[in-house]
Amino acid sequence: MKKIQSILLALLCLMLFPSLLIAQLERERVVTDQPEELIFMAPRNINLYTVEPLSKGELHYSIMHTFGEVNGGVSELWGIDQGANVRFSFEYGFGEQFSLGIGRSSMDKVYDLSSRYSLIRQRQNGGSPVSVTVIPSIGITTGSYGFLDVDYNLSDRLNFNLAVPIARKMSDDLSLQLVPMITHFNRVGFELSVADPAENTYYSIGVGGRFKIAPRTAITFQYIPPITDAENLDHNIGIGIDVETGGHVFQMFFTTSRALNESYLVSSGNGDFLDGGYRFGFNINRLFRIR
Amino acid sequence: MKRLIRLTPILIIPALLTLLPDRLPAQKFMADDGYVEFVSTAPLLEFEGVSENLTGLIDLETKMVDFYVDLNTLETGIQRRDRDMRNSYLETDKFPFAEFTGELQTDFDPNLQETQEARVNGTFKIHGVEREIDVEGTLTPNGDSIQLEASWVVLLEDYNIDRPGVLFYQLAEEQTVNISIQLVKTDN
Repeated sequence: MKKIQSILLALLCLMLFPSLLIAQLERERVVTDQPEELIFMAPRNINLYTVEPLSKGELHYSIMHTFGEVNGGVSELWGIDQGANVRFSFEYGFGEQFSLGIGRSSMDKVYDLSSRYSLIRQRQNGGSPVSVTVIPSIGITTGSYGFLDVDYNLSDRLNFNLAVPIARKMSDDLSLQLVPMITHFNRVGFELSVADPAENTYYSIGVGGRFKIAPRTAITFQYIPPITDAENLDHNIGIGIDVETGGHVFQMFFTTSRALNESYLVSSGNGDFLDGGYRFGFNINRLFRIR
Repeated sequence: MKRLIRLTPILIIPALLTLLPDRLPAQKFMADDGYVEFVSTAPLLEFEGVSENLTGLIDLETKMVDFYVDLNTLETGIQRRDRDMRNSYLETDKFPFAEFTGELQTDFDPNLQETQEARVNGTFKIHGVEREIDVEGTLTPNGDSIQLEASWVVLLEDYNIDRPGVLFYQLAEEQTVNISIQLVKTDN
């Protein structure tokens, strides 16, 4: 009975003095839905392009390296002495969906021109469950092939690639992506760093992902299976770590391939991961604001 | 049961009283378009995260002061920095609001049409961490509204907001929060 009296007394007080109610404002979100952001820390995840778009006016500079295979041992400083394949690139965001990039890889002295179009963005509340980006690119090898019976003309030097990353941020920590891609070389031969000098067209479905182990640190991986019916292709396997430092993203990894752009990722040979046929590599990504 | 019957008039009378007009004129002032900025001042770089979606309430009857902002509306002028701020620092998916609830410690006369110093003691919450703070500011009555200006300092470490070890943004450990809002009298 005393309990009932206490409740009634409390009700009485509240009715007499309604201001005793702690009338805090109800918390309402202004932004209730927006695209998933930072599905990946950078436009690259190890070597594969990601769905991570640039904003309008952003310039992304990256420099990527892969060294020799670590199975050379200490005398080769685990591959470092063998020199690096280096790719540096600039990519500029012309809008929230579209960017253009130009890069240069030392392997086969390739210049590549690429564009990225963010077709679909994963939304936080409903909408698309995945982000999809379309990335066509064209490459031109600029090596000297005068030693060949038939020299390369301009058309011979061209290669074309289409990659379509499809990614989903599964949780705050885990993001995954599939990257169907196809590459065509107008001309191939032993002089190029492709796996099969008789095969012009290569295709695969790459898999990539990252798992955050701290707010700005993530474990990363990539896998590109050798689907093309070609000689000497092997599994492209990469594992790494991303460290975001506020403006820069450092990416350090071990991978089985020297390749650093899509055309060669799908077409060049790979070492045997289980036999030390992997190599150290790292990327440095920097974003600038141009306007 | 008999006691309940005896209590009935006690319940009915105040219930009827609540139907009468308010004893006092409205004492609540609200707005949802206030300005808030988080100023980061490092030796080589100063930048602000700015929002114009600060929502606030002052109840002069209870002396309660209540503010919050959806941190997803903060912008620093660089979209990549905004994304980093939301995802890596403030983790706005988990902790969408910065909020302050406190009690006015100083006297305030809404009829005195001049700027009056004010001090509020309360709880500031951001990144899921609550801390009791004192906030100094001013209140300026202006017809049916009150202009509020206030400022205080937030140490990111106090709220478990981790900064990168290598500072390329030069994000300052100490952030100055400035708020400015015109609160309008409400009948609610």
